[in-house]
Amino acid sequence: MGGFWRRYSRRWASVLGLALLALVVAGAAAAPLVFPADPWDMAGAPYLWPGQETGFPLGTDTLGRDVAAGLFHGARVSLLVGIAATAAALGVGILVGAVAGYYGGIVDDALMRLTEIFQTIPNFIFIIVLVVIFKPSIATIVLSISAVSWPALARLVRAEFLSLRRREFVQSCILVGMGDARVILTEILPNCLAPVIVTASIMVATAILIEAGLSFLGLGDPNVISWGSMIGAGRTSLRNAWYLTAIPGLAIVVTVLALNLVGEGLNDAFNPRLRPRAATR
Amino acid sequence: MLGGSRLLGSMAALLMAVLAATATAQEQPVRGGTLRITVPEPVMLTGAFNSAGQIYVISPKIHDGLVAYDADFNLQPQLATAWTISADGKEMKFTLRPNVRWHDGKPFTSEDVAFSAMKVWKVAHPRGRSVYANLERVDTPDPLTAIFRFSQPAPYILNALFSAESQPVPRHIYDGTDLATNPNNVAPVGTGPFKFTRWERGQYLQLDRNPDYWDTGKPYLDRVVFRFIPDPGARTVAFETGEIDAGAGIPVPLSDARRLAGMPSMQVHLEGDEAINAQTFIEFNLRRPLFQDVRVRRAIAHAIDRGFIARNVYFNFATPATGPVSKDLKRFYTADVPAYPYDPALAQKLLDEAGLKRGSDGIRARITHDPLPGNEFYLRTAEYFRQAMQRIGIAVEIRTADFATWYRRIYTDNDFDTSNYAAFNLADPTMGVQRFYWSKNIVKGVAFSNGSGYANAEVDRAFELAQIEVDPARRTSLFQQMQKLVMGDVPNIPVVDLEWLSVTNRKVHNMIKPPLGPHGNFADAWMKP
Amino acid sequence: MARIARFLGRRLVQAAGVILGIAVINFLLVHLAPGDAVEVLAGEAGGAGDPGYVERLRARFGLDRPLHEQLALYLWNVVRLDFGYSFRHGTDVLDLILGRVPATLLLMVTSIAAAFLLGLVLGVTAARRVNTVTDNVIALVALLSYAIPLFWLGLMLVVLFSVMLGWLPSGGISTVGVDQSPLAYAADVARHAVLPTVTLTLFYMAVYTRLMRASMLEVTGHDFVRTARAKGLSERAVIWRHVLKNALLPMVTMIGMQVGSLLGGAVMVEMVFGWPGLGRLAFEAILARDLNLLLGILLLSSILVVAANILVDLAYAWLDPRIEVR
Repeated sequence: MGGFWRRYSRRWASVLGLALLALVVAGAAAAPLVFPADPWDMAGAPYLWPGQETGFPLGTDTLGRDVAAGLFHGARVSLLVGIAATAAALGVGILVGAVAGYYGGIVDDALMRLTEIFQTIPNFIFIIVLVVIFKPSIATIVLSISAVSWPALARLVRAEFLSLRRREFVQSCILVGMGDARVILTEILPNCLAPVIVTASIMVATAILIEAGLSFLGLGDPNVISWGSMIGAGRTSLRNAWYLTAIPGLAIVVTVLALNLVGEGLNDAFNPRLRPRAATR
Repeated sequence: MLGGSRLLGSMAALLMAVLAATATAQEQPVRGGTLRITVPEPVMLTGAFNSAGQIYVISPKIHDGLVAYDADFNLQPQLATAWTISADGKEMKFTLRPNVRWHDGKPFTSEDVAFSAMKVWKVAHPRGRSVYANLERVDTPDPLTAIFRFSQPAPYILNALFSAESQPVPRHIYDGTDLATNPNNVAPVGTGPFKFTRWERGQYLQLDRNPDYWDTGKPYLDRVVFRFIPDPGARTVAFETGEIDAGAGIPVPLSDARRLAGMPSMQVHLEGDEAINAQTFIEFNLRRPLFQDVRVRRAIAHAIDRGFIARNVYFNFATPATGPVSKDLKRFYTADVPAYPYDPALAQKLLDEAGLKRGSDGIRARITHDPLPGNEFYLRTAEYFRQAMQRIGIAVEIRTADFATWYRRIYTDNDFDTSNYAAFNLADPTMGVQRFYWSKNIVKGVAFSNGSGYANAEVDRAFELAQIEVDPARRTSLFQQMQKLVMGDVPNIPVVDLEWLSVTNRKVHNMIKPPLGPHGNFADAWMKP
Repeated sequence: MARIARFLGRRLVQAAGVILGIAVINFLLVHLAPGDAVEVLAGEAGGAGDPGYVERLRARFGLDRPLHEQLALYLWNVVRLDFGYSFRHGTDVLDLILGRVPATLLLMVTSIAAAFLLGLVLGVTAARRVNTVTDNVIALVALLSYAIPLFWLGLMLVVLFSVMLGWLPSGGISTVGVDQSPLAYAADVARHAVLPTVTLTLFYMAVYTRLMRASMLEVTGHDFVRTARAKGLSERAVIWRHVLKNALLPMVTMIGMQVGSLLGGAVMVEMVFGWPGLGRLAFEAILARDLNLLLGILLLSSILVVAANILVDLAYAWLDPRIEVR
C-alpha cells in the first residue's frame, strides 16, 4: 500500500486532484449541515451579487435562491449522477466484457456485435433520445448515461480477459475443475481491475459533464438542484448575472479536473512502468 | 461592428438616441434596405391552416388579408375596399380591390376568397372550424364581390378577418389538391407586399419586395429576412452585435429584454400585441377529487403572490392578472370579479376547512405540476409554485417534458394535477377565451382546449349568447358576467397578463404598429440607412 | 490486395448487421415515446376546436397502423434507402439530411483536423520533456479545455469575440440577406465557422494531446528506438522517422472512435451557434417527435461512424503492414 501511494504521489498534480476531489466530496457531505434549509427556497432578494449581502456569500439567483446552498446541495446530485451512472455502466460493461472474453466464440461474437451497435449510435444524441422518451429525472439521466458508457468498458474488460484467459494460473484453475463463475470472479477479474478503475474515474467526470449538457438543453431533473440545473437556470441571465453560470460552471471544471488528475495518478500507481493509458471517451 | 473606440461608439449612440427622440415624428420613410428579423423556424409559410406563432409573423408579409385594423380595431381596407353587414348580422358583403394580382401574375378574385373561406379556413384552420362554424356559403356574384352568408350572426368574425388569422390563398394553386402537402405551403404565392424568394432550412427565409404591389410605392423595404436562431441567449447577442434588426413574440429572455430596453440603440415594444393579449395561468385538473373542492382551488389562488411572479419571473413585462380576460382586452375586461389577494394564512385556513390537514410530515397533499416547455418563464413559474405550495403544506413535483409529452398529458390523457402555460386571448373572447372554459370544448387530443375539464352551465350560456349577439354593449356585458362566474369557480388561476413584446433596433421604423404589430404586412415599415 | 478485399468484404457484412440492429433498436425506442408528431403539429398550430384535424393528420402519416406493420414497412424502406417523409418539414428526409451534411462535415473535419494537429504537437512536446514544467503545463491546459463544459465555453467565446471585441459573428453559417460572390461567400462561411470550430477543437484537443504523449512514451521504450539511437541517429531523426510514425497508430484509432462522439458534441455547439448542421436537426426532430427524420439521422450518422471505422482500419493496415487485419 505504501508503494501504491508513493507511485500515486509521484506527480504533484495527482495529489492536487485528490485534494480537490476530497474538498468536493466534503462539501457534498456537509451540505445538509451547512445549509439545512431547502436550497430551492426563495431566501433573499433576487439577483444579489456575490458578496453584496452577508448571508449570501455567492449571491442569489433570479428567484432569490441562495447560490451557495445550491452549490453545496448540487454537489451531492452531480456526484451522485456521475457515480451512479458509472456504477451502472461498470456492472453491464464488466458482465458483458467478462462473458465475451472468457467464453469467446459465438458468445463473444454476439456480445461484441451488441456492443458495437451501442457504440456506433452517436452517443450524446442517443442520450437525449432516451431522456426525452423516458422523461427527465435523475434515474433516467443516470440510466441513459450508463447506456452509452458501458460499451467502452466492455471492450476494455474483454481485452483483458482475452489475454488473462490464456495465462497459466487461469488455465490451471480451470484444469482443477474450478467453476466458471469462480474463475471469473476470483481469478481473472481482480487482475484486470486496475485499468477499469482508472477508466471509471474518468467516466464519472464525463457523466458530470453530460448531465450539465442535458440541463443546458432543458432536459435535467427539475426537482433536484444539480450544477447542471443551476447553469440551465442561469443561462438566460448570462449577460446580466454571469456569476449564476460561472459559479456552478467552475465547480464542474474543478471536479472534472480533479477526477481526471486522480485517474492519471491511479494509472501511475497501477502501472509502475509509467505507461499512461489512453484517455477514455 | 469593427473594433472601434467604445467611447466614441457610446457617444454616437447617445447622439442617435437624442436625434431619434426629436425626429421620429417628422421623418420621411426611406426606400430600400433589408430588415432582418429573428423568429423560430416555421413548419410552413401559409397561415391559412396553421396558426403557429412564427407563421403568424411571417405569412402576413406574403399574403394580404381582406382587412386590417386601426389602433381602435376599426376595420381598414386591405384586399377588401368596402364591406356591409346586414341588419340581422347574417350577411357580410365585401367589395374587393380591383387589379390585385397574385405573385404569379394571376388575378385575385372573389373566387379565391370563397375557396379560402369554405375549403380552407372552415375545414383546415385549427380555430377555423369554430370561428367559421356558422358560415354556410360564400356567394360570388361577380369577381370583385364576395358575400359571406351565416346561419347565425357571427359578430366576432370582424375581429378575425386580418391576414394572420384568415388568410386568402390562391384557388388556382390549391383547388383539388391535398392542402397539407401542396408545394405552395413551403414556397408560397401570395398577394402581399413581399414575395417568397428562398428558404434555407435551419438558417433563414428570404422575402423580396413585390414591385407590383397594389399599394403603389410600397413597400419601402427591398427585402425581409427571417433568421432562425435556436438559442435565446444567442438571439440577444445577435441584437447587440447588429446581426439582426428585430424580433417578435418575446424574442429574447425577459431579463435580457430589460437590459436591451436600457440600450440607446434598441427599442422594446410593448405595443403591437393588441390582437394577441397573452395571459398565463396555473390550471387545475378538475377531474382530480382534490381539486373538485372549490375551497382548495381558492386556497391555492390565495397562496400565490402574482406580484412576485410579475417582478421576478417576467421582469415587470407583465402585470398580475385578475381574471380570465386580459386587462389589455379593454373592450371586454372587467375588474369587478372575485379577487384572491396573496394571503398564505387565509390559504391555510381554507385548506383546514376543506379537511386537508397537515400529516405528521407536515404535508397536506402531494401533486404534480407540468409547465409548458419552450420558454424558461414557465419553468420559473413552476419553481415558484412549488415553493409557494410547500409553504401551505402541499408538496409539488415538477414534471418537465417536451411538447409532445406535454400535449398528451394535458389534452389527450388528462394525466396531470396542475400545469401552467400562456394562452392568447386574441382580439375577441369568443376566439381566444371561450376555448378554455366552454364545456363543449372538453375534447380529447385537442391542444389549448378546455384541459381542466371545467363545466358551468351559466358560463356556457354566456359564451354561447355572446357568440351570436350583434349588439356590442350586450355582448360585453355577457362576457363580464362570464368573468365573474369563472373567477368564483377558479378552474384555473390567471397569473399575469403578459406583454407579447417585440424588440427592434432604432433604425427600424413603422414596423410595430398597433394593433397587429409584428403580425401586420410591413408595407409601411422602413429603415434608416 | 486479396487480403484487404477479403477483410473489406467481411467488414461490410458485419456493418450491415450492425446497422440493421441499430435500425430496429432505434425504431422501437422512438415508438415507445408517448405523443407523436401530429400532437406537436396540432399543438403548435394553436389548434382548438377540431379533433378531426388530429385524426386526419395521423391517418395521413400512417401513425394509426399497428406497430409491427410500421416496423416492417420501416425496415423495408431502410433496405431500399428510402428514409421517408418528414411531416414536420414537408420534405423528404434524405433531402433534409443531405442539406445539413455539408455544414456538419465542415465543422467536424476542421475540428478533428485542428484537434489532431494541436494534440500531436502538444503531445510530442510533452513527451519529449516528460515530467518537466512544460509537460505539466500542457497536461493542465489540455485537461482544462476538456473540463470546461462545451456550451459554457461557446457562450463565453461569443461574449468575448462577438459582443465585446466585435471581431466575429455570433452565430449562423453565413451573413443573411446579402448577395455575395462565391469567393466572398466562402470567406464569410469561414469567418462564421471560427468560433464553433474553436469550441469543439478545444474540447477534443485534450484527448489527442494525452494520447499522443502516452503513445510517444510507450514507443520510445521499444527496442527498435533504442537500436536507432544506438546507431547514432540524431534525436530529431529518431523522433520523426521511428517514434512518430508508430505513435500515430492509436491516434488514428481515436479518430474513428470520435466520429460518433463528435456528432453528439456537435448538438450543443450547433445549438449555441445556430449552426445549421445534423446535430441541431436531430435535437429539433426529437423535440418535435419528427420520428422519420430522427430515425433517418440516427441511421445515417451510424452508417457514417461505421464507414469511418472501416476507413480507420484500412489506414491502420496501411500504416503498419505487420498488423493483422481483423
